[in-house]
Parts: sequence; C-alpha cells; structure tokens
Amino acid sequence: MGDKPSRYLLIESQGNWAGPNAGRFLGDASALAKSGHQVSVFLVQDGVFAAVNDSVPEIATLAELGATVWADDFSTAQRALPARSLSPHVKLVGMDSVAKLLMSDGCRAVWH
Amino acid sequence: MTDTTIQPAGTSELPATRKPTKIVQRRWGLLLVVTAAPHSNDVITSAMRLAQAVLDEGKTVRMWACGYANMLTQKAHGDTKLINTRDPEGFYPSSAHIVREMLAANPGKFAWIACTACSAERGATDHIAEVRFRSPLRFVSTIEAADQTVFIGGA
Repeated sequence: MGDKPSRYLLIESQGNWAGPNAGRFLGDASALAKSGHQVSVFLVQDGVFAAVNDSVPEIATLAELGATVWADDFSTAQRALPARSLSPHVKLVGMDSVAKLLMSDGCRAVWH
Repeated sequence: MTDTTIQPAGTSELPATRKPTKIVQRRWGLLLVVTAAPHSNDVITSAMRLAQAVLDEGKTVRMWACGYANMLTQKAHGDTKLINTRDPEGFYPSSAHIVREMLAANPGKFAWIACTACSAERGATDHIAEVRFRSPLRFVSTIEAADQTVFIGGA
C-alpha cells in the first residue's frame, strides 16, 4: 500500500445479512479511510439495504471519516427503497458516477 | 547472390528479413471479469450497466466470462426469452441478444471473451459467433493489457 494516499472504490453488492464479510468489507473501507486514503463506497444490488436509515452503523462511521458513500439508484428502485428511507450520509447515484471514478487515474477498485 | 546481408563488425542492425517482429499488445480501458452464476442474483445486470457506463465515457471495455457466466452467450438462447403471457407482444431480449447488440453498437470498443476451460467444463461451447474464446492461460496477459480490472467473483 505504501505511504502515498490512494483512491479506493469499494463496491458492496452483498446484503448485510449475507454473512460477516459484508460488515468486514465496510470495516475495511473504514480502515482505509482512517489511514488517510480517499475512499468511496458504492452500494449496489442487495448492498443498498445497508443504506437504509441507520441499519448499518459502519455507514455513519465512514461518513465521519470523510468517505463517500453512494447507493445505486437502479438497485434502490428495484427494491422499492425511496430516497427518504435512506441514511442522510448516503447519496443516490447512477452507474455513470461509478464509471467516472473507476476510470480515473490511480483508482483501485474492489467488488464484493 | 542471397538476401543475407553481412553486417559490419560492431553494428547491431539486423537485415529487415531477420528483424524480430515486435508484437504490441492492444490496451483496453476496463477488463470486467464475471465469474458469478448469472441466475444467482442481479450481478450480470450490474456488470452490463457498468460496462455501458464506461463505454459512454469513451473508454473501451472487455468482458471476460468465467464459470457459469459462459451460459449468457449460448446460441441456444435465441434472440428472446420465453414468451411473457401477460405481455405476449412484448420483446424481451435474451442475454445472448443483448451481448450481440452491445458488440454491434461498439465495434472495436467492446469485446466479450469466453473462457475456454469454463465453457468446455460445462458443455457450453456453442457461443454466438461474436464471442471470442480465450484460454485461462492468457488471463494474466489479459489483465496486463487493461488499465483497470474489476473482478466480480461468486462462481
């Protein structure tokens, strides 16, 4: 990893009930943010359930650490999750935002 | 007389006929590796949406289908899904049709690779003609040829 801050895009597609790895993945995002890296988390598919209100405390932690938390607009619509049901720390975005970040210089992406 | 040219001592220049061919590997913007079973959840929808969004950014995209993702491009799918009895006139494209349309809409910018081993293991070698087979032995070189790789697991 080195000392130089990197830009990370962590894509969570698993629901928070899918097993401990979903929580650990968000924990990894927090650890990277704490280390001074630029972290963006994109919740997609069943991962968007982590964006509902305060169901997953790691979301608020990530926001406090300065990480960006996005939720996929298509996935939330497919699961009948209106914007008002989401955590204030989460921003609804489309895949175009993800594509821009993913293809930017130095971005490291992990899909879980 | 022969074509062979003897080089003066101290020169490293080879005659044109003996110069090694320099193979320049084409670079791609994004390599999207999909190993998840397509029926397990909406992962393929997400992958295709991401691929289209990156194409819309003017970048190039290669999809590498591993495992049961190789079922997506089988000829047996035809162009449509089974008829929707609540909408019998509706057109519901098959995954093979969607891939073919994306390839046709993005010539030279979008490519779909079928893993030879995964296809053979599943008896799923009858892909649509636009799909290219590639051995898993070339997986690393395929990654090296991409600026960005996203591996979507779950096979």
